[in-house]
Amino acid sequence: MQQRGCVLPLSEEEEEEEEEDEEEEEEEEEGEKKTAMAQVEKKVGLLGLRTSSSKKPLKEKVVLMYDDIFARDDPAISNPRFWDELFLMKVNLEYLEAKLESLDGDEVLKIKNNINSLFHHCIQALGEEHQIKVVNALQTLCALFRGVHRKNKSATGFDIINMLMGFDKAELRMKDLMERLDSLLCGDGSESLKSLCLKLLLCLVTVTDNISQNTILEYVMINSIFEAILQILSDVSSRSQHGYDAVVLLALLVNYRKYESVNPYIVKLSIVDDEPTLDGMGMVVHQALTEYNRQYKDKEEENQGGFLSALSSMVGSMFVADADEKLSVQTNEAILLALYEAVHLNRNFITVLAQSHPEIDMAATSIDPVPTTPTTPLGTTPPSLDLMNSAELPLDPNLQTSNLLITFLKYSSIVMQDTKDEHRLNSARLCLIILTCIAEDQYADAFLHDDNMNFRVNLHRMPMRHRKKTADKNSPSRPLVCAVLDLMVEFIVTHMMKDFPMDLYMHCVQIIHKLICYQKKCRVRLHYTWRELWSALINLLKFFLSNETTLLVKHNIFHMALQVINLFNMFITYGDTFLPTPNSYDELYYEIVRMHQVFDNLYCMVLRVSTNAGQWKEPASKVTHALINIRAIINHFSPKIESYAAVNHISQLSEDQVLEVVRSNYDTLTLKLQDGLDQFERYSEQPKETAFFKELVRSISLNVRRNVSLNTLSQDVLLKEFSSIS
Amino acid sequence: MGDTELELSPAHQQEALQKSLSTSSLSLSTSSSLSLPSSPSSGPSALPASPSISTSTSGDGGLPLTSSSSPSLDVITEGVGELSVVIDPEVAKLACQEVLQKVKLQKGELEVALPKELIEVTLAVTKTPTLANGVATHVRDEPVDLVPVKVGGCSGEEEELEQASASPSSGSGKSTRRRLKQPNSSKQSWLLRLFESKLFDVSMAISYLYNSKEPGVQAYIGNRLFSFAYEDVDFYLPQLLNMYINMDEDVGDAIKPYVVHRCRQSISFSLQCAWLLGAYSSDMHISTQRHSRGTKLRKLILSDELKPAGSRLRPPVPYPPPMATVLHHEHSLSPSKRTHQRSKSDATVSISLSSNLKRTASNPKVEANQDEPVRLTPQREFIKSLMGIGKRLATLPTKEQKTQRLISELSLLNHKLPARVWLPTAAFDHHVVRVPHTQAVVLNSKDKAPYLIYVEVLECENFETSNVPVRIPETRIRSTRSVENLPDCGITAEQRATSFYPVPNYDNDDEAWSVDDIGELQVELPEIHTNSCDNISQFSVDSITSQESKEPIFIAAGDIRRRLSEQLAHTPTTFRRDPEDPSAVALKEPWQEKVRRIREGSPYGHFPNWRLLSVIVKCGDDLRQELLAYQVLKQLQCIWEQERVPLWIKPYKILVISSDSGMIEPVVNAVSIHQVKKQSQLSLLDYFLQEHGNYTTEAFLTAQRNFVQSCAGYCLICYLLQVKDRHNGNILLDSEGHIIHIDFGFILSSSPRNLGFETSAFKLTSEFVDVMGGLDGDMFNYYKMLMLQGLIAARKHMEKVVQIVEIMQQGSQLPCFHGSSTIRYLKERFHMSLTEEQLQVLVEQMVDGSMRSITTKLYDGFQYLTNGIM
Repeated sequence: MQQRGCVLPLSEEEEEEEEEDEEEEEEEEEGEKKTAMAQVEKKVGLLGLRTSSSKKPLKEKVVLMYDDIFARDDPAISNPRFWDELFLMKVNLEYLEAKLESLDGDEVLKIKNNINSLFHHCIQALGEEHQIKVVNALQTLCALFRGVHRKNKSATGFDIINMLMGFDKAELRMKDLMERLDSLLCGDGSESLKSLCLKLLLCLVTVTDNISQNTILEYVMINSIFEAILQILSDVSSRSQHGYDAVVLLALLVNYRKYESVNPYIVKLSIVDDEPTLDGMGMVVHQALTEYNRQYKDKEEENQGGFLSALSSMVGSMFVADADEKLSVQTNEAILLALYEAVHLNRNFITVLAQSHPEIDMAATSIDPVPTTPTTPLGTTPPSLDLMNSAELPLDPNLQTSNLLITFLKYSSIVMQDTKDEHRLNSARLCLIILTCIAEDQYADAFLHDDNMNFRVNLHRMPMRHRKKTADKNSPSRPLVCAVLDLMVEFIVTHMMKDFPMDLYMHCVQIIHKLICYQKKCRVRLHYTWRELWSALINLLKFFLSNETTLLVKHNIFHMALQVINLFNMFITYGDTFLPTPNSYDELYYEIVRMHQVFDNLYCMVLRVSTNAGQWKEPASKVTHALINIRAIINHFSPKIESYAAVNHISQLSEDQVLEVVRSNYDTLTLKLQDGLDQFERYSEQPKETAFFKELVRSISLNVRRNVSLNTLSQDVLLKEFSSIS
Repeated sequence: MGDTELELSPAHQQEALQKSLSTSSLSLSTSSSLSLPSSPSSGPSALPASPSISTSTSGDGGLPLTSSSSPSLDVITEGVGELSVVIDPEVAKLACQEVLQKVKLQKGELEVALPKELIEVTLAVTKTPTLANGVATHVRDEPVDLVPVKVGGCSGEEEELEQASASPSSGSGKSTRRRLKQPNSSKQSWLLRLFESKLFDVSMAISYLYNSKEPGVQAYIGNRLFSFAYEDVDFYLPQLLNMYINMDEDVGDAIKPYVVHRCRQSISFSLQCAWLLGAYSSDMHISTQRHSRGTKLRKLILSDELKPAGSRLRPPVPYPPPMATVLHHEHSLSPSKRTHQRSKSDATVSISLSSNLKRTASNPKVEANQDEPVRLTPQREFIKSLMGIGKRLATLPTKEQKTQRLISELSLLNHKLPARVWLPTAAFDHHVVRVPHTQAVVLNSKDKAPYLIYVEVLECENFETSNVPVRIPETRIRSTRSVENLPDCGITAEQRATSFYPVPNYDNDDEAWSVDDIGELQVELPEIHTNSCDNISQFSVDSITSQESKEPIFIAAGDIRRRLSEQLAHTPTTFRRDPEDPSAVALKEPWQEKVRRIREGSPYGHFPNWRLLSVIVKCGDDLRQELLAYQVLKQLQCIWEQERVPLWIKPYKILVISSDSGMIEPVVNAVSIHQVKKQSQLSLLDYFLQEHGNYTTEAFLTAQRNFVQSCAGYCLICYLLQVKDRHNGNILLDSEGHIIHIDFGFILSSSPRNLGFETSAFKLTSEFVDVMGGLDGDMFNYYKMLMLQGLIAARKHMEKVVQIVEIMQQGSQLPCFHGSSTIRYLKERFHMSLTEEQLQVLVEQMVDGSMRSITTKLYDGFQYLTNGIM
């Protein structure tokens, strides 16, 4: 205690001294400024006109100072307080960036020292007590990164580093920068400052189109800010304000050279096991997806209002889909990528998926609580209410309990409706990949199949000609896996189009396969209407048959057909381990026999292809082998049914009658056990999805770069906020 | 000086105590106690008591204790019966007053003559394990004033004496007891001898405490409580506390030291007391309640000032003095609080009683404020959040919504576990580590939302001192995962090479994936190991066969279909999931099965001390009657066991938390008869046949016998306690065939809505009789015979049963005590005046009456109409 007592007054004295110093400075500046003041006032008067008139505006002081930097000489020589003053000026981003952009190679070299110096002083200013200086330094840094990169589209990363920091100093400077940012993010400073820090980082991460070519990030790898990001996510208030940016930043950082080198962010993300943090991450994703779902629903209701609703059902899906697309909310691949990385890399995150909490109604709580917070880019407003961490859940009987997985499934169902748009296609694909990862995880499977966790999941279904838009809000409460299967069936049924998304179908069928493998292994008897799945799969086969020629140009439909047939084989040979009732096994046979035409045709087709020499010979012959059991069933039961009809003089047998025939004729049927039906290829990002993710990250980078705006944080707001501090 | 005295061995203590007592010129002649008069003449009943009297002489003479010859049970009970008649409260009063007088006279001398020795004595006393706080604190406070303080009544004196007697070193105890006996008259000795005899159990103590109007006797018993086993006293805790709240000062004063002492020792006792005090004070008028002693004691306990004795010793200036000192102030003529306190702290420093103190002295801050405030907090918060969930669930309209909300609320609760919290209904010390939230179910109730949760706990030595287990994230459990990781579990190397892609570089980072190790550890554990072996073998059969042999394997489609129907037929006893009755499925699942399943899915499942508990949380229900019923049931169960009547009943534990909330220990492996009938659509007999096998099978006969024994037991209970509202939703059937009555909301003088239904003595439907084998069957006769035996046995011990109810009637507004004749009617139902033959006729009549009673049937119909219960 005594020691403390001694230390405290001392530090206070020091502070006082410092403050005095600053005051002196400011007084001096006052004098200098006075001349400039008149100018500034004029400028303010002109400000309104600036955009409309082409007249060159009077130069602000800060612009003059920038010009000094872009002169060859060290500006500090003529004015020793140059750097101090610079950061007291409001940053003119446009000017600075434009200036940097306009330089060509030689000129850059000439003023390299000054830019290095600017960079250096920016970093130093980050440590200033004076928050205005910190803000200005952050913005200046941002302009530096952007300006230099815009200029040097072709230049190598090393040139950029040299230009900004100088080779010899780069490591030190970046270390300083990252440390300063880290302490700003983790400290109890202003929220706006934290927001700016994150924006600077987002800016830095997205300056190049291809994140892996952004050499400066190597320093971000060495000087990790992972912990700072986690801290933001674990804290309720900071998460609600910066969670979105933090999650996007993390998702991007994880993707830096992820295939070439050891990315520490990947390693760290994969071992996080702090539940509040993971929950926080889940909440951010959950809220972003919920917001999307809500916006979509609003749009949909808008569209359906009035006479249009009557019309749309007649005009058909095309028109509505187009209208939807036009109006549709921008998909959010960044947040989806974050979800993917979390699910893919971190096992502990799986629990977060099932973490139930009441559905958040964004509409009810969209009033922004903190007026000073800049509106977040990328379409989502920062969630204002954090229900996750409030000790007591709100008491609203109408509030349905939800969880991240349910929200994600709903989101997927929306995104998958229409995959014509590239973004939506990417989103749909990513959704399926995430579902693949989930379906592979034992823990996820356990809660997906948990009989005690029943939910009503209202998936969105595409309006189509041949079916009414199902308004069944009363879908029964079932284990979550039913919703996943429904979603897969829905996808299979609705995407048989000319531009066939083979990859997506592949994922889809694999997800089903993985779920069934789990059910078989753990003897889970799911009360699901398997019939819908069977008929969807059979329809898919039918689609292959009718579009054979067009599809074969682009795709290996035999591989796909093999997967589908093997799903049937799973049911046929292992049905006893996971089917809910003996009846459902009968129904399987009934369905196969009923649709025997499809299987017969498929067999003819694969037989034909496999007998011809050609690239499809082998895959086609695999399908012929896989068809053995199905053909045996058809060949066994068809005559029996016919003779039953003949004996009883019935032209058209009822379903019950057929089932009766099936039931009484099992014993004479022998099946062949197929190889490795219950084994699957585990999902692996490499090498199959590498290209997809590279492209995806590129598109996300572009999007983030476009939307990161530092100007949204107006100087007025800042001044207001800091007036009380400084 | 203090230090040397501290090191006194027990032997020294005795010596010192004896010495001081003998020198203290109290005329305690051994002869007087030896010549206990007139006992032989008063008949054989004195005999059982005599051994303990003889031991009392041994203190002085140094004779070995004759811990001998506890008489047979029958003799004891007879003796008690007679003794209770003999004792005259007037005499007891006289005796105690005499003791008091003596003490008053002698105290002056003592004070002057032997202050130092007295200090030694009392110091020794404080070191005995069962120290009374009053004495102990006082010693430290004002060593010199020790004896003079005890003027308020003989309670103080006796308290001190009792301390000694309660201590394991019985030598000192004996010598002190003589003091009490010293002025005895012949009749007085009867009471004393009873009190000192081995027959004197808690039940009797409570009875005397309640019936005696003598402060002396009450105070003596208050002290005597210290000598009983904790569990025995705990059973009567509701009675003790109700007496404390609702009876006069003297009884309260007699009880308080014991309660305070126990509170200091145990967190769970503290909370239990606080809850019960709150619940039993609630019937008082608000204005009196606020100032009642019960409320005060409750506040004191909850303020957590009753910390363990060790931490009590630190300099305590800022907060009010501990209980014991308060007690003293109430009774003492001693100086003001201020001096008292100062001297106390002085004394603490100079005497420096224990290592605790040294720690506090050298590091005053750490001990004082760090972890102490949280002594009771975690558990209170835990209970509070469970109750909060119940309250919020009640607002939701449908069962489905309730269930979902329950699950999500519990998953949030899980985040805060493990913690130093426990389920008070459990029989062993443990820490709650996880609530498997998806297993929780909402129970059937119209407007309240009782729910049942399963709770994973780790058994521990002592939940107060053992370390709280470290949290393990949910995903770390991979019993199935570990199977995947096993080499050669069905996947050949070749195949794995093709099916698993080369792992990305970060996969090789050992640190990054160290999580897996835990999953693999799981395999080592026996239980899970066997389980995963099962999986492996299953796995192997499925795929190896097809893998390794190149010849095609053929299977018959018929076999698959047959296996499917067989496997489904194999589990016919599982109930269908019914959203309107979510608990049916959960309760039907065999407990062992559930335990295994939850253990497999739990990250803590691999700990050998892992246990699964369950509890029903009731919010908005008054469980005080349930608690009363539990006590009566428990008492009857003991009586029947003692009398070797094979009646079977299952008292389930009740935890009263307030007058409108509490917890119930669920009966495992049991579902309500309503659920049985609704789910199976069978008659009860057919259900028995389906569950247990045909009439002649061993299993059926056992189940039938169980049914009869439990039925007889509960019929008697229903009759004696006048349990009403007996519909099939309130009667459970367990997997062994026992029936178990639950919900004692309408007992004694209360009946539902006073509709006057159920006039029969108990519920006996023709379905029940069918299960018993019909009216003419042997089992039905056995049933009646059991009832008769049970009634005779219960009658024999009527007092023990009535006492429980009678004490709780004090100050109670519970509906079961409605009217003035509750106790009288209760006693009448034991039919003390009837001969056994007459009793037999009575039983026949009751059975006949219940059989013929239309009201039972009518009531079932009524319940069906109103609540949908079959």
